Amino acid sequence: MRMSARPDIRLEGVAKSFGAAGRRIEAVAPVDLVLAGGQMTALVGPSGCGKSTLLRLIAGLDAPTEGRISIGAETPDALRRRAGLAVAFQDAALLPWRTVEGNVALGRALARKPRDPRAIRDLIALVGLSGFGRRRPAELSGGMRQRAAIARALAGEPDLLLLDEPFAAVDALTRDRLNAELPPLWEARGATSVLVTHSVAEAVRLSDRVLVLTPRPARVAADIAVPLPHPRNADVLASEDFRALCSDVTEALRVHQFPQSVAAQ
Amino acid sequence: MTTRRPALSRDPAPRAAARSLPRGSGPLLVLLLWEALARATASGFIIAAPSQIVHHLATHAELLLRALGTTGWAALRGFVWGNLAGVLLALAAVLVPRGERLLSTLALLVFCLPLVATGPILRVLYGPGAGPQVTLAALAVYYTTFLPVLVGLRAAPQGWFDLVRSYGRGRMTELREVRLPAALPYLVAGLQIAAPAAFLGAMVGEFTGAERGLGVLTVRALRALDLPATWSIAGLAAAVSMLAFAAVGWLGRRLDLAPPEVLLAPPVVRGRRAWSGLAEAALALGVTLLVWKGSMAVFGLPRFFARRPEDVWSYLVTAPGAGAQRQRLFAALGETLVLAVPGYLAGLLLGAGLALALALRPRLAGAVIPLSIALRSIPIVATAPLIVWALGRGATGSIAVVATMIFFPTLIACQHGLARTPRAVLDLFAVYDASPLLRAQLPAMLPAFFASARMAIPAAILAVTTAEWLATGRGIGALLATVASTSDYGMLWSAIALIGLASVLAHALLASVERRILSRTSAEQLAR
Repeated sequence: MRMSARPDIRLEGVAKSFGAAGRRIEAVAPVDLVLAGGQMTALVGPSGCGKSTLLRLIAGLDAPTEGRISIGAETPDALRRRAGLAVAFQDAALLPWRTVEGNVALGRALARKPRDPRAIRDLIALVGLSGFGRRRPAELSGGMRQRAAIARALAGEPDLLLLDEPFAAVDALTRDRLNAELPPLWEARGATSVLVTHSVAEAVRLSDRVLVLTPRPARVAADIAVPLPHPRNADVLASEDFRALCSDVTEALRVHQFPQSVAAQ
Repeated sequence: MTTRRPALSRDPAPRAAARSLPRGSGPLLVLLLWEALARATASGFIIAAPSQIVHHLATHAELLLRALGTTGWAALRGFVWGNLAGVLLALAAVLVPRGERLLSTLALLVFCLPLVATGPILRVLYGPGAGPQVTLAALAVYYTTFLPVLVGLRAAPQGWFDLVRSYGRGRMTELREVRLPAALPYLVAGLQIAAPAAFLGAMVGEFTGAERGLGVLTVRALRALDLPATWSIAGLAAAVSMLAFAAVGWLGRRLDLAPPEVLLAPPVVRGRRAWSGLAEAALALGVTLLVWKGSMAVFGLPRFFARRPEDVWSYLVTAPGAGAQRQRLFAALGETLVLAVPGYLAGLLLGAGLALALALRPRLAGAVIPLSIALRSIPIVATAPLIVWALGRGATGSIAVVATMIFFPTLIACQHGLARTPRAVLDLFAVYDASPLLRAQLPAMLPAFFASARMAIPAAILAVTTAEWLATGRGIGALLATVASTSDYGMLWSAIALIGLASVLAHALLASVERRILSRTSAEQLAR
């Protein structure tokens, strides 16, 4: 039944605009892209540039105004309907009346996977929340909530994992730890993943390819491959290659975010 | 609950003053003052002394308990049916979003029909027995449950719905996993208000000619000007209502519900054009007339008392003598509005004003709010005669009844609204040592204020018609009582139709003011 556990994501002339005629806001300019299956692609760009909109289009939560998206041989809607994708939302979106366990288990239940308390416990341990399974979200810190949300996204064993600034609300130290600990989780699954982030270092560290987007409407300003070896341990992060890639991405961002300052130079 | 001033500005004086009196002497002092006041004004037939009340309660214990049991049982059945209806209506509105506006309008319309008018009709329909009491109790509660549950079912943040959708699951999963659990705390809040309201509905039902119950005893005591009996029944009804209110609140706490999620970004209001509003109103009117006529035809109700819409039209417009009948009806409505509108405005403004004033004195609020929550649960039918007696049968008494009925819910709602002022905004004002009252807290309070102003419309109608019926003998409430007793069903149905129309118009007017003001002060709250 499944086409492939590592589907390509193909965007053909995909554009999105909001609002009624006359006050139309163009969020995503027509883009053509192929995101390779089994890879992690990072989308970086200035605030409000349309990164998250692009992610929602890929998830099928919003429909593109123009163009079409396919994931493997399926439409996003079809993939969603067979619970082949999972999203880790920016604000965690944990249900406050469920415990951590309950929220993670919901990820399996919604994906129509059989109940598996052991798998839930293992996932909770993987994201470092052992001992907090019975707590409600309100009792957790921001970082713990994000980890619970990621565990929930992984619980449904998705073919496509979409991460919408999952660490935006997390302090720098926790973020660094999550950046180190979480990639093995999705690398092991081999799912195709898309990460939306503000952080250049995070994008380079976690992904195989970084797409730099322009301010609204979003266009691909730079397409930077990240040929660093996995796992991205301390040696890799200290390497000259890592630093060079980071400054490439930063430069691409700067050129497109502040064109005036570039012109003045 | 709301703003806490820095510790430095705390005033130690009140605590010192309280300490100078022995513990528990406060209530005793109040009782003594009450007794003295009652004895001093004994000739005025206003206040019954505590000793008289205790004596009456003791000597009539068996009668009162039996009546309480009758009324309580009817109230309980009405409570169950009414809340069930409220929850089902809210579910229907969420599952069929297209029909939501129509459903809300019809639900409001039925809720605005004064119990005083529907009572006699139900009595004719049911004949003797508890039918009217149970039905009126249900009618008194279904809307106050419908509204919060509807809000609760929709109050979930968009992210939770996205979560369900991202797994390709549909509306039923959304309902089961997100909407229902999210609505549970709102349901408890609704049930809490419903508990005393059901008791009130049952009592009004008994006014319409029941054989037993506290309502029957109230009417008897009022006719006989039996002061201690009236006060005893009022006290009993108040105590039971407060207990019911407290019991549901306790149940909610036992269930350990997650607190209601504060909604910061509700769904955007669709742009509405004038003609679509008119079309909706016409549709609502059409459906109302259809349901009115259709239900009577289906149940085969005799035309003698179950008047159809066209009967009302002919009674007021085309029949001989229609002019005089119209004049009588509109004169009564005029008398009522002269009392209801000032009472409505006074209740709203006093409630909001006190809430704002208490925001300046948080310590005082800690004492006033629990008291007003308790007082809110006292049924108006019990207190209306007392207020009218105390302030006289003129305008002041009725205005005070209406204002009292509206004052407490408004105070509590505004208090909740004020508590929602974001902490960071208050801190910002504190940094500059500026008062946040007008620039931050007032705008934060407005959505709650308007919500309570909308709910206050039916409350004002109920209060004013009850006061007119039981005490002042003027206005539309008295007209309803008179025509019900003389079986003048043409006038009765005309009055009901007119009140329904007037309350829906008042509601629409208020909604448009609300939209206008909130779009300036708190655009993010304009969901509904």
